[in-house]
Parts: sequence; C-alpha cells; structure tokens
Amino acid sequence: MSSPLLQTLRKASALTIALALCACTGAGAQTNLYRALGGEPGISRITELFILEIANDARVIHYFEVSNVQRFREKFSEHLCVISDGPCEYTGDTMVDTHVGMHVTEGDFNAIVEDLIAAMNKAGVTLAAQNRLLERLAALRGEIIYL
Amino acid sequence: MPRILASALLVLFLLPWGQAAFAQGRLTGTGGVSSISGAGGGGLIPWATLSSLATQDQFGAVAFVTRTDVDDFQLDVAGAAVTLRNRLELSLAKREFTIKANDSRIRQNVAGLKLKVAGDLVYGGIPQIAIGAEHHHLHDPATAQAVGAARNDGTDYYASVARAWIDGPLHRTGMININLRYSRANQYGILGHGGDDQDRTLQLEAAAAVFLSRRLAIGAEYRQKPDNLLALKEDSASDIFLAWFPNKHFSVTGAWVRLGDIAGASDQNGFYLSFQGAF
Repeated sequence: MSSPLLQTLRKASALTIALALCACTGAGAQTNLYRALGGEPGISRITELFILEIANDARVIHYFEVSNVQRFREKFSEHLCVISDGPCEYTGDTMVDTHVGMHVTEGDFNAIVEDLIAAMNKAGVTLAAQNRLLERLAALRGEIIYL
Repeated sequence: MPRILASALLVLFLLPWGQAAFAQGRLTGTGGVSSISGAGGGGLIPWATLSSLATQDQFGAVAFVTRTDVDDFQLDVAGAAVTLRNRLELSLAKREFTIKANDSRIRQNVAGLKLKVAGDLVYGGIPQIAIGAEHHHLHDPATAQAVGAARNDGTDYYASVARAWIDGPLHRTGMININLRYSRANQYGILGHGGDDQDRTLQLEAAAAVFLSRRLAIGAEYRQKPDNLLALKEDSASDIFLAWFPNKHFSVTGAWVRLGDIAGASDQNGFYLSFQGAF
C-alpha cells in the first residue's frame, strides 16, 4: 500500500529514471503532470468541459451565476497549468480571496471534484494523471470550504 | 453499553443536527460497504468510515443484505445504518447462522454505534479516527451454552483509523484501515462471550484497498479473534474482496473468505456476497 516508505521509494525511482532520461537526451524528458494532462491544448479542453459540467450541475451552478465566465476560464486554466508544473504564471486571486463569503460546503466541494472528474474523463485524461492532479487540488480544500 | 448509549445521546443533543437533510455529498466509495455487524466498513470488520455518503451537513442511511457461505456453515445478515452529519453512526443487524450438518440455526442481533472522533478519510492532515461499540444479543443461546460460553450476550469496543490516498500506489486511489478491538466474543458472539478465558483482550484488525477505477475497488481484510474456549479452537479470519460502486446509491461486494476453524470444523473457506443501498 501507499506507506510513506513506498511513496519515497516510488518518488526516488521516478527521479532516478528522470535523471537517466535527462542524461541521455539532454532535455527534460520527465513526464511532468502538465504533459500528462496534454499541455496547453489539453488544459484548455479540460477547462471548457469543466465549465459545461458546472453549467449543468444544479448543486453548484448558483456559485457561478455572478461569475465572469471568460475570467474564470482564463484563471482556472492558469491555475491548472501552474499546479501541474506547466510554464505559466497564475494571475488570479488567492483561493481564500476567491471563495471567502461563498460558504462552500464539503458536499459542494465534492460536487466540483465530480464535475472535474467528468470533464477529465470526457477529455480522455488517464486515471493516473487525474489522480495526480486531484491530489494536488485536494490540498487546497482548506482554503476553499466553509469560508 | 448503557454508558456508550448515554454518551451518544449527549452528542446528539450537543450537535446542531436540525437543518441537515438526507443527501450523498461525499465521493463515491468513501462510505465503504456494510460489514457483517451492520457497521460501515469492509465486510469482516468495521472501518473508521461512516455508512452512506453523508457529509458533515447531511444525514445518510443504508440498508444491506449479506450472505457468507463456507464449507459447513452459512451466515445471513440483514441490516441498516443511519449516519448523522458524518459524525455518528447507529447500526442494527439481524444474523442467522446455519449449521449445515443438522440444519440448525442460531439467530443473533447486533446493535452498533460508531463516533467519528477526528480527521477525514481523504482530505487534510489527520486520518479518519473513530471509536465504536458492537453489542451482541443471542436469540438462540443453546449452542453457546453447550460449548461453554460464559455469557449469551456481550459488547465489543473498538478504535479505528482509516486513510485514503487519492494518488496512491501506481497512481490509483488506495486506502488502509486499522482497528484495535477489545473483545471476548466467541465467533462474532454467535457462540456467546467468554468461556474458560474470561477477560476481554485486544485484537488487531486491518484492511487495505485500491480503486482499480472510480467504481471498482479490490482489497483484503484481516481479523484477529479471541480464543476463549479450551474445547474449540478459534482462528483469525481474512478475505479478499472486490467492491463495485455503479453509482452513489448502490454497491455490490463479493469476497473469498477464510474463516479458519469454527466450532470444531476445520478450515472453513467460502464466498461472501453483499448488496447495499444508500440514500
């Protein structure tokens, strides 16, 4: 199972392979998450599909009714890019500033997670890449819910 | 048990249950399935997870039926559980244990109570920690008396820790659960409690699972058991399971179980099949 030791070993072996590949090709051959998500076009597609999922989700659409969709599209894409180690800069507000006063519940947060999973499924993102991204996003939950 | 019930009632009054509604706000699979005691868990053991997918703002309820069929015995369990705000779980199960050789039956009721103490299965820095109690009441105590049980009824207490990793082994979501049970039950209380050895002892229980997809989990469980009766050896139990969650309201779990020696019949192996509905 995923004991700390196993995780460390896995990360260590991944690093070793990455270093070996870098040494051979002289380029960043490491499969970073940004590439696994399909790079810029992949993230654009995930974002579009995610917006469509939210638009059809009665549980959470009310949070977005006053949102500027164009701005959400831009900042969410940037966020996915940065969090997946892509070559971007996040220019949006902090997670706390964005969500304060919205009173997002635990259930609403999970609804958004389900919408993102549905979007990634439709975009053809592998389960492995989905889980790598979801784990990074899950760490932000404390900056989003019950504010 | 009365003290535990009193504590549970205190919790009921202290927490603002009022505005919660029945809903399924947690992620699919994070409620586990129904164990043979009725408590939320795996199959052979309860887990720190609470039944249904109710969040801290919601109520949830599940109902289940389970058949375990091994070489010389069969155990049928039907039950239900209610979860209040993902904090407190109350469960009831009716068991019917069949001895195939003479087609005799032992009926038993189990009432369970589980309180989430801290943490969360998936999110944040603290794993989900719960404490619980399972009270066994025998309707047909003749067999328990015949094999030398000290009591017909009894209560097990347990503490449980569970953690999931979204990005676990091979980038699949995985989880581990560990319980410490304080028990003197003979074969899940079906053969009563206590015997030649009267004291409760600490028993270790563990489970591990990996989600092969978002809807299909594979895993294994281990349950150490007391061995109170000199005349009858009691072994630890284990299983390998496959659980399918086609949606948030229904699950099917199949397992291969190894229950060891039961009441003098050796190496009892067989299958386990369970259906659960949730809302």
